[in-house]
Amino acid sequence: MNSSVNRRKQVNPVHVPSLVRWLLIALFAGSAGLVYVYIKNQQFALGEEIRQVERRIREVRAANEVLLARVTELSSRRTLQQRVADGFISVKPIQDIAIARLTPPVEAVRDGVIRTAFNERRRQ
Amino acid sequence: MRWTARTRTGIACAVVALIFTAFSLRLVHVQVAMHNEYAALAAQKHTMRQTIHARRGLIFDRNGELLASNLPVRTVVADGSHIKDAAAIAAIAAPYLEMDEKELASKINTDRKYVVVRRGVAEDKAQELAKSLQNAGLRGFYYEPDAVRFYPNGQMLGHVLGFLDHDGSGIQGVELTMNNSLRGTDGFRYIERDRTGKEIMLYRGQEEPARNGQNVHLTIDMGLQAIVEEELDTAFNDLKPENAIALMLDPKTGEVLAMASRPCFDPNEPGDAKPEQMKNRAVIDMVEPGSTFKIVVASGALNEGTVDTRSTIFCENGRFAYGGFILKDHSGYGSLSVHDILVHSSNIGSAKMALMMGGDKFYEYVRRFGFGERTGIELPGEIPGLVHPPHRWDKLTITRMPMGHALAVTPLQMTMGMSVIANGGHLMAPRIVRSVEDEDGNVTLDKTPKVIRDVIPAETARYVSDALTEVVSKRGTAQLAKVAGFTVAGKTGTAQKVSPAGGYAPGEYVVSFVGYMPAEDPRFVCLVMINNAAVAPALNYGGTVAAPIFSRIAEKAARYMNLVPSLRAEPIGATPLALGNVVEDRSN
Repeated sequence: MNSSVNRRKQVNPVHVPSLVRWLLIALFAGSAGLVYVYIKNQQFALGEEIRQVERRIREVRAANEVLLARVTELSSRRTLQQRVADGFISVKPIQDIAIARLTPPVEAVRDGVIRTAFNERRRQ
Repeated sequence: MRWTARTRTGIACAVVALIFTAFSLRLVHVQVAMHNEYAALAAQKHTMRQTIHARRGLIFDRNGELLASNLPVRTVVADGSHIKDAAAIAAIAAPYLEMDEKELASKINTDRKYVVVRRGVAEDKAQELAKSLQNAGLRGFYYEPDAVRFYPNGQMLGHVLGFLDHDGSGIQGVELTMNNSLRGTDGFRYIERDRTGKEIMLYRGQEEPARNGQNVHLTIDMGLQAIVEEELDTAFNDLKPENAIALMLDPKTGEVLAMASRPCFDPNEPGDAKPEQMKNRAVIDMVEPGSTFKIVVASGALNEGTVDTRSTIFCENGRFAYGGFILKDHSGYGSLSVHDILVHSSNIGSAKMALMMGGDKFYEYVRRFGFGERTGIELPGEIPGLVHPPHRWDKLTITRMPMGHALAVTPLQMTMGMSVIANGGHLMAPRIVRSVEDEDGNVTLDKTPKVIRDVIPAETARYVSDALTEVVSKRGTAQLAKVAGFTVAGKTGTAQKVSPAGGYAPGEYVVSFVGYMPAEDPRFVCLVMINNAAVAPALNYGGTVAAPIFSRIAEKAARYMNLVPSLRAEPIGATPLALGNVVEDRSN
């Protein structure tokens, strides 16, 4: 009788449901922690990516504006006039005979050519 | 007390509990009671307010030609707390920044967290510098986006456009008057940096985007501006005057089409200019206008009924004694109509008309034409001129003022005065800003033509205009202002220069011509004013110096504006200045 009682006292049964419960809690807590760290890392990585993209956009935009400024300079009136003066661009005045007017001007008597720039040649 | 196991355990637990309670209390104190203080400290250490720079608005002419733009650059700044080897950084950075290596090293060898090393570093150079420092494993330099103003046409229109100071605020020209529209509003964002200085995107805080400046469209037509500047440059080089001014505007709207002064400056390099070069003389200089002013007395006398179109005035055969002085005409004239007084530019006829009108009435017309008050054009520093009221006149003033002496006007006022005749008697408000648009193209300000007042009736203006048309003929004083194929109206002016020592400077003249074309339907009014040209005194007149310049400008402008000639083209004679060697040597 006694021996059977003592034997029963020495038995330490494993409470499987309780163990599973605690294991699940631990697993959940561990997973939550890992997911948190993973998401946090992902956020930092995405943030870094955004920063790089922003920087790249800024650089491209700045390069674009530099090029636009260069185009503006090259196509400015001052530069074009300088190029005409240097003979780089040849500009020929439109001959009066090539101008079609909706309202025909009064005809000149001398040589039949209407001129609007007579005294330019008098400047020399 | 018996130290049983239970007692000892209880004491140990209590001690541990006390220790943890103390830690907990400290944590609560730090986290709750001291929260604001530590949060501020942390923010000060890691958080910074980053400015997002607004882009300054652009300036265009009336046809959309770009006149002022922005060139992106970088401002290189240093954080002294991040710099470990100032000498090594200086050795690499000095060539990129075009600075002396030692000077740069001493500048960045500091504990300050924000040191501006150099402004206006070109974008590509800043990028190369950043790469070089990164490759060398050096840190402490940062590159803030910035922009410098860029005027692609250089000197052309420099006085009108103005320029900016180093903070990007306009300090002259349209850049100053339209600064509020052009500058925009900077934005900001709060950011945190890690210990290497990189922004931690996760902790990016409050953000307010920048509002870019608005674009300003001027009334200036760069085609006409180029014509005016080219002719003014030629005149300035050939005649070597102290200064020269040309102004062109649309009399019907008051829009300024071209405005130029010489000497001038390049707004891209304002530091290289002398103060004399930076003056926009069209609005900040005042001169005695001379005979161009005779249109005022003629208009007033006709309108008041003091004279009519059939009246004749005896011009004393060229010598009129009044107030103890003799007033002379260029030639001795007998009786002249108002028409002929203008055609021959008779001083005596003009003085007599003013005497017949009376000082108060004459003064009223001077003011009605806009003299003695600012026109309100959108340019800084405009002066009102100088017109004394009758109670401050001396005995001679009423005979001197009608011929454009004893008062001072700005070139813009004189041009607006002539616009009154060209525009059927209406005085328009001159303007140089046409509209303002935001960056999406929405018009936020649209300036429409504004009539200031009706100065004289259309019939009076037409009569004066007819006389001014004859001024530009063989009978008048401005034959050389003619333009083949077109009817030109205008008036010459030749005024002796006022001497700083008092009285008039002998042999020094301000000569001018102000006219419009085509006379029957004016498309533009143009003033040319040459101050003390280096020509022989016998030829230093508005009709010989300024009128030919007007003619050349008007001719080219007619072609540019595609005006249809209404007259038979007749050759124009050579100008006296083109024929002979009459330019004085001012090399000494």
